[in-house]
Amino acid sequence: MVPTRSGSDVGRRVRQSSMEAGLATVLSDAPIQKPAAVAPPAAGAGEWLRTASLLIPLSLALAVVHTFQLESETFETIALLTVVGFAVHALTPMRFRLAAFTAISFVGALAVFGIADAAMMVSVGVVLIAICHLPLSLGLRVLLLLGVGAVLAAARAGVYTIPWSATVWPILGSMFMFRLALYLYALRDPDTRPTVARTLAYFFMLPNLVFPLYPVIDYGTFGRTYYDKPAFQIYERGVQWITRGLVHLLLYRLVYLHLTIQPAEIVDLGGVVQNVLSTFLLYLRISGQFHLIVGMLHLFGFRLPETHRLYFLSSSFNDFWRRINIYWKDFMMKLVYYPSFFRLRRFGARPAMVAATLIVFLATWILHSYQWFWLRGGFPITAQDGVFWGVLGLFVVVNTLRESKRGRKRTLEARRGWDAGRAFRTVGTFTAIAVLWSLWSTAELGEWVWMWLSVRRFDAMDLLLVAGLLGAGLAVAGRSWDAPVTEDGRKRTLMRQPAFQSSAVLIGLLLLGQPQAYERGAPQLAGFVGTLKSDALNDWDANLRRRGYYEDLDNVGLLNTQFLEVKASAPADWRDIRRTEANRQRTDFLRYDLQPNASIVYKGQTFTTNRWGMRGPDVSLQKPEGVTRIAIVGPSFVMGDGVADEDVFDRQLEALLNAAGERRYEVLNFGVGGYSIVQQVAMLENRVLDFQPDVVILTYHLRPALRVIPHLEEVVRSRTPVPYPELERMLREAEVLVDGDGTRLRVPFRPLRSVARSLGVEAAPPRFEREVQLRLLTDRIVDWSLAHAAERIRASGAAPVLIALDIVSMRTDSEPPSLAFAASRGFQVHNLLDVYSGLDPKDLEIAEWDDHPNAEGHRLIAQRLYRELTESREDHFAAATTENDPARAPPGGSTPGETE
Amino acid sequence: MNDTQQTIKTYILETFLPGEDAAALSTTTPLRSTGILDSLATLDLVSFLEERFQIELGAQDVDPSRWENIEELSALVERKRNGR
Repeated sequence: MVPTRSGSDVGRRVRQSSMEAGLATVLSDAPIQKPAAVAPPAAGAGEWLRTASLLIPLSLALAVVHTFQLESETFETIALLTVVGFAVHALTPMRFRLAAFTAISFVGALAVFGIADAAMMVSVGVVLIAICHLPLSLGLRVLLLLGVGAVLAAARAGVYTIPWSATVWPILGSMFMFRLALYLYALRDPDTRPTVARTLAYFFMLPNLVFPLYPVIDYGTFGRTYYDKPAFQIYERGVQWITRGLVHLLLYRLVYLHLTIQPAEIVDLGGVVQNVLSTFLLYLRISGQFHLIVGMLHLFGFRLPETHRLYFLSSSFNDFWRRINIYWKDFMMKLVYYPSFFRLRRFGARPAMVAATLIVFLATWILHSYQWFWLRGGFPITAQDGVFWGVLGLFVVVNTLRESKRGRKRTLEARRGWDAGRAFRTVGTFTAIAVLWSLWSTAELGEWVWMWLSVRRFDAMDLLLVAGLLGAGLAVAGRSWDAPVTEDGRKRTLMRQPAFQSSAVLIGLLLLGQPQAYERGAPQLAGFVGTLKSDALNDWDANLRRRGYYEDLDNVGLLNTQFLEVKASAPADWRDIRRTEANRQRTDFLRYDLQPNASIVYKGQTFTTNRWGMRGPDVSLQKPEGVTRIAIVGPSFVMGDGVADEDVFDRQLEALLNAAGERRYEVLNFGVGGYSIVQQVAMLENRVLDFQPDVVILTYHLRPALRVIPHLEEVVRSRTPVPYPELERMLREAEVLVDGDGTRLRVPFRPLRSVARSLGVEAAPPRFEREVQLRLLTDRIVDWSLAHAAERIRASGAAPVLIALDIVSMRTDSEPPSLAFAASRGFQVHNLLDVYSGLDPKDLEIAEWDDHPNAEGHRLIAQRLYRELTESREDHFAAATTENDPARAPPGGSTPGETE
Repeated sequence: MNDTQQTIKTYILETFLPGEDAAALSTTTPLRSTGILDSLATLDLVSFLEERFQIELGAQDVDPSRWENIEELSALVERKRNGR
């Protein structure tokens, strides 16, 4: 039974003097506005058994979280606490259950933050709550809260420091940024009589400790729906939604790792469709998290509304707004829409309705940035946000006006069977919102417009893709998937019970999550599922991370939560090499290299360079007699990003080669973080060949555009001369390189520039267009680099070798075409892209937030490279016989690396 | 079902659910979380209630957390009629 008492009863109890009665009053449940509708029956043995049976699907859910490493390790802890807490809570007498829930939440806070941070967080929260209860007018309390909020905001913005961990901010912000407003609003109602237990339970909800993006749960709804149905019914729905949340999160991971494509990578219609679709589908992460949150709360008796109900199947913009996040919609209705409407309705119902709707979307836009501030620290106001919320708001207004004139078809029983009108409306709505979503997520509006120009390029496969998606969409969307509004009340068979269905789904996921069991029969499926079993960043984000985006937080699309979470977990001094003292800025084509004689601690490891600016011990310019020199050029993982000097694979390779004792070897590391293949060529000519190497190893990495584009973009922006005529010609043809670029007017798209030029205006393409052109050119640039390098290395008498290698998270099943091209140009090619295969990426990364190979990863690389080099020793070291050839001595008097 | 509940039910059926089976709409059928009453319909219903029962409703009275079904809405109307 839920204890249901009238307000006067509560008041009477508060006045009781005995300690027991006082304790019971503050800890137990009290009605907020009205008694709960249904009191749960007294728990008999059957009821206990039924409740205990839910531990089966809940344990399976825990196993799925663990198997697929869903979300974070902290989430796993909180998930475990939720299941254990559920069992304890269900055994607790009803009147102490709210207090039990709050106690479990506080245990969670201790587990997540530790004593000091948890105590600080709770203290600040209690102060904020206490202000709401001061015996002052509402206006004064609001002013006080704003004052405290401003003090906290200053700390959040970094004006001064509060001695707690940075991870406390998003959680504290999430707990109070909106709920305080709803709480104050509820207190305005004289019928609202909050208890300490309910208020603490409301603000310090267990799932909130790991999910900063959290439904804006209304205080009234929180109290009103508490055990308002039979307990088991609430619990089993919780299990059902937790299962649904886990499925959403797995689908999200599939989309994130295998379907996403960035606008800069798109060259045809298929790419555009993939971008638009995958960007919208990335929202599965949020809907998954919301399902988990609301499901977890159900396990403690809070029968909160269903979140994100079939939102991909919305049949209109209004329908989408209703379905996608009912908590936000209700929050806006309560605090913005209805108050605006009632104030404005003297001007007529329809104008008031339109104005209130527009105010809602304006408020949503601003509050989105406000939320961002508390969660991430910045306050981004972008054109994309404005366009997205503006267009969505306009669509909703138009839809509302249309419905107010013509009405909307509502039904109590879902109409079964396929309906063409519903199918086209739903597919149309999905498409329009997906397009808007891709606009919202883009880094730059111009880039998004450019992406759409790619639809001009298509082949039969692209058209087939569009037709297939459209057909599948219409087939699915034509059916109603909504459950009927009315409950039929019939007893369900075992097969139709949510707990049974959830268990079946979870067992299926667990079986799928054991790829070793079916690796032999279905190796491709096993490999694919293997990729879904870790929360790695996708290729694009991994590259952003390596390129030093940590310091540029607001550059990332607002929806890219996974990337931001990983970034947020990195220490503040975890910087890209270019932002350290070991970087040397240059004004020539290389743009930067390593400072000679640098000795720093970089990513927690010793980082030393010799007098030539190479990672590693000192070497002479002149190759010593009897020595075979191997020069390695490449990006960060060749430089040894995040590992100690002695652990970089070149050191280990040298030791392995010399251990054989046949001849003496020197391995010279010319790696520099972030170097593209073009910079490797420049380094080769600038320095490497001066050291008379016998073997020169260049490094090919996956998605070369991600390094080629930033480098050449910097070259163009800094107006640095391009020292290679063929490369310069390619860049000029693509209008990446334009004379007098800095003084020209930025005009997007070639036809518009032609018009501008015909009018006498000196026009040049904007940055995003240069980047797209560079993307289209990348393959040619890579081929040119390899051909040019092979020629130069051979001319020097050394053997050209190309290794294909990358960071831990970058893996591929297919061989990049550039490797075959390199072989055709005389390179000995060694594909090491599978060097980390079969191992857990987490064991090979230097940190959770940085997937450069650690010492173990470098050991694997060294051993593999040693094996491959020695197996083809004759090919590689043929050139070594010409050692000490005077013709290959460095130019007299010149110092390598100093000529610019 | 009292008179107020019957009046509200009849209005909802006639205005928003024409052709639907009256028996399928009970006084506890969720109206708002199921989309039967969206913001537009809620405001329409507010106008009807104000006119029919000679009461005045404000923003707080249409708060989504205050009532979800005919039974709860009817209780609100009764409270307003009794001057609370």
